[in-house]
Amino acid sequence: MTVKTEYLITTIDAVPSMAKRRKEDGWRFVQLLAVNTEEGIDLIYSFMKDGVLQNNKVEHVAKTDSVPSITDEFLAAFVFENEVHDLFGVDIRNIAIDFGGNFYALAQSEPMTIISPAQKAAREKARQAAIAKAERAKKAAAANAAYVVDHPGAKPAPKSDGVLIKPSADGVEEKLRGIDPEKVARLRAAMAAKARKAAAANADYEETHPTANPVQPKQESNISDELEEKLKGMDPEKAEKVRAAMARKAAKEAAAQNDTAKEGE
Amino acid sequence: MAFASKSPWVIHYDASSCNGCDIEVLAALCPGFDVERFGIINTGNPKHADIFLVTGSVNERNIDVVKEIYNQMVEPKVVIACGICACTGGIFHDCYNVIGGVDKAIPVDVYAPGCAVRPEAIIDAVVQGVAILDEKSKALAEAKKGA
Amino acid sequence: MGKATVIPFGPQHPVLPEPLHLDLVVEDEKVIEAIPQIGFVHRGLEKLVETRDYNQFIYVAERICGICAFGHSMGYAETVERLMGVEIPKRAEYLRVIWHELSRIHSHILWMGLAADAFGFESLFMHCWRLRERVLDIFEKTTGGRVIFSVVKVGGVVRDIDEAQFAEIKRVLEGIKHDYNQLCKAFLKDTSVKNRTVGVGYISEEEARALSMVGPFARASNVNNDSRCLGNGGYADLADFQPIMDTQGDCYARVKVRALEVLQSMDIITEMIDKIPDGDIAVPVKGSPVDGAEASNVVEQPRGECYYYARGNGTKYLERMRMRTPTSQNLAGMTKALAGCDLADVNMIVLTIDPCISCTER
Repeated sequence: MTVKTEYLITTIDAVPSMAKRRKEDGWRFVQLLAVNTEEGIDLIYSFMKDGVLQNNKVEHVAKTDSVPSITDEFLAAFVFENEVHDLFGVDIRNIAIDFGGNFYALAQSEPMTIISPAQKAAREKARQAAIAKAERAKKAAAANAAYVVDHPGAKPAPKSDGVLIKPSADGVEEKLRGIDPEKVARLRAAMAAKARKAAAANADYEETHPTANPVQPKQESNISDELEEKLKGMDPEKAEKVRAAMARKAAKEAAAQNDTAKEGE
Repeated sequence: MAFASKSPWVIHYDASSCNGCDIEVLAALCPGFDVERFGIINTGNPKHADIFLVTGSVNERNIDVVKEIYNQMVEPKVVIACGICACTGGIFHDCYNVIGGVDKAIPVDVYAPGCAVRPEAIIDAVVQGVAILDEKSKALAEAKKGA
Repeated sequence: MGKATVIPFGPQHPVLPEPLHLDLVVEDEKVIEAIPQIGFVHRGLEKLVETRDYNQFIYVAERICGICAFGHSMGYAETVERLMGVEIPKRAEYLRVIWHELSRIHSHILWMGLAADAFGFESLFMHCWRLRERVLDIFEKTTGGRVIFSVVKVGGVVRDIDEAQFAEIKRVLEGIKHDYNQLCKAFLKDTSVKNRTVGVGYISEEEARALSMVGPFARASNVNNDSRCLGNGGYADLADFQPIMDTQGDCYARVKVRALEVLQSMDIITEMIDKIPDGDIAVPVKGSPVDGAEASNVVEQPRGECYYYARGNGTKYLERMRMRTPTSQNLAGMTKALAGCDLADVNMIVLTIDPCISCTER
C-alpha cells in the first residue's frame, strides 16, 4: 500500500485561483519545486488532503514569464519561492518575505539551469542511441510481420533478451547486433575475460599433466602451430600470458569486424 | 612549558556539513568517549579556544565566517579538519556551491578523514593537534624572548 | 519606550549545532521580529543527479543530513522504486521500518540533549547522549556505521539482520526504556524546566494549519500531518498506529510529544521484529527510468513529513530529484513562534522546532 498521488496540469494564470481553492477546501500546502527542461521550467505545486498527494504542474515557464506568488494563502511557500527564484531564475512577484536573490549565496547564478558541455554531449549520445534502438526495433517488427505473412504456420520466435548463453563465436554476433552499444562493449569484455580464464586453466592443466595432449579451446584459436610448440616449451606462466594476449587480440579483431559491418548498415 | 596543551579548549563550527561529523564531534565530548577527562571543554567563544574543529565542505557563504572565526582566535591555535568533506570536499567536491575543503579558506594543521569521522579518529586528531600546539607555543615563547 | 536594536544570532553559536542566522529585532529584551537568513549549508547537491546515476545517488542522498541519514536513503529508494515500478520484498520493507524507527529514537534522544543544553541543563545533555550511544551500538552491529549506514539500495536493503541480532535489539531496547523513563521524568517533571518551557513559543491550532507546519512541531499544536498514517511500505502492517498529539502548543508540549514518540517507536520496533516474514532482502533492478515518468512520495522523518519527487529521462541518470525536508516547511512557523518571546528564550524556541538546516538547504 502506498500513498495515492495524482498529477494535474495547470497554467500560470490559474495559479492564484488554484491556491485559493485549495485553501478553502482545506488542502495543506506541501511544497513547490521546479524542473529544468529544454522547453522551459516546469513548476510543480503539491497539496495534500486525506491521504491524497496532488501535484499541479505548470509547464514550460519561460524566462520572461512572471508567476504570481501564493504566499497570501500559504505563507510557508516563501521558502520555496525564494529558492526557485535563486536557483532557476523564475521571476515570482509579490513574495511575502522576499530576499531579493540573496536567499542562498551562490557561486554561479541560476545554477540549476546550467548544463555543462559534457552533460549535453552525454544526453545527445543517449538520445541518438534511443532513436537507433527504436529504428532497429521497428525494422525487426516489420521483418517479423513480413515473415509471418509468408509463412502462416510459423511459431513466434523465442524472445532473445541479449544474454549470452555460451561463448561460441557463431550466433553471438547475431545476438549482439540487437543490443545497445554500451551493453555490447561490456559483453565483449566479458567474453575476452572468459577466454583469458580458459587459457589460464589450460596452462594450469598442462603444468600438472605434462604428458597430456593440449586441450583444444572451444573458440577458434588464432595461435598457430609453431607458436603452440614454442608455448609448450616456455615457462607455464609466460605461456598463459601469451595465450591471454592472443585471445584479447582475437576478441578485438572480432569487435573491429563487427564495427565495420555496423557502419556499413 | 605550554599550559594550553594541558587543557586545550575547543571551538566547533559546522561549515556546510551534513551534521554527521558534528554529532560525532559532540559525541566525543560526551560520556561515551569523554575527551573532557583531558581537560577539553567545548566553548562558544573563539577568544577562549585553542583548537578549532571544523567540519564540512565550505560553501560560498561560509568562507567569510570560517575566516572570521579563525582570525578571532588567539595564537597559538590549531585547526583540525574533521571529516572527509573538510579535508577535500568529500562526495560534494564537484558541487557548484562548494569550494572543496577547509584548507582553501584557512590553514589546516591536522586532517581527520572519515564519513562520518569516528570519535576515535577525532581523539587521535586532537592529541596530534595538542602536540602541534605545544610546538607553536614554544616557538611563540622563543620569538618573544628574542624580541 | 525602548529603541529597537538588531541582534545577530548565529551562524556560529554554542547552542546551535548548525549554522543559521537570525536577525532579532529586539526592544528591551523582548523580540519583536525574527528574520531568518539561511544559505550557510547550501551545497547544491540536487544537481549531482546529472553526474551520478540513480544507484550511486543514494550515497549522496544519505549525506544530505547526518541525523536523518537513513530516512533520506529510504525515501529516495522508495521514490525511485515507484518511478521504475519495482516492488521490493516484504522483509526488506520491514527491515527498513526497523532501522528508520531506530533512527527516530536516536534523533529524538539527540534532540532532547541539545534542547536541554539550550537552556543550560548540561548534565541532562550528557546523560541523553550516553544513552544514545547504546542505539548507535545497535546500528554499528547491524549495519557497520554509526551515523551513515549505506544499507539501503534501490530494490531493497543490502544487509540482513539475523535472529540473534533481533534478540539483542529487543534486549537493548528494554534496557534503554528503563533508563529513558528516568530521564524523561527528570526533564518533564522538573519545575525549572517547566518554568523555561511552559507558555513559551505558543502557536495555536489555526496558526499551525495556516502555516502548513509538519512533524512533532505541528502535532504539539494538535495538527496531525503524520505520514505514517498513510501506510507507506512496512508501516501499512502496523496493528494500530496513533500519532502522539498534544493540544498545548508551547515548547513544553513539543518536548512531551517527542519524548513519548521515542517510547512509541520502541513499541513499533518490537512489533515489527515479532512480525517480520522470511524471504529475500532485495530484488535486482535493471534498466533505467522511462523518459518523462514521474513519481512522488512522502516519508515521516523524525522532524516531520519529507516529500520526494523524481523524474526520469530515459537514461540511467535521473532528470530531477527533489527532496523537500520538514524544516523548510517549518521555517515560517519558527518565525511566528519567535515573535514576541524573550531574548533568553530564543535558543529554546529555535531548538524546539528541531531545525535541520543541512536538510533544508541541501
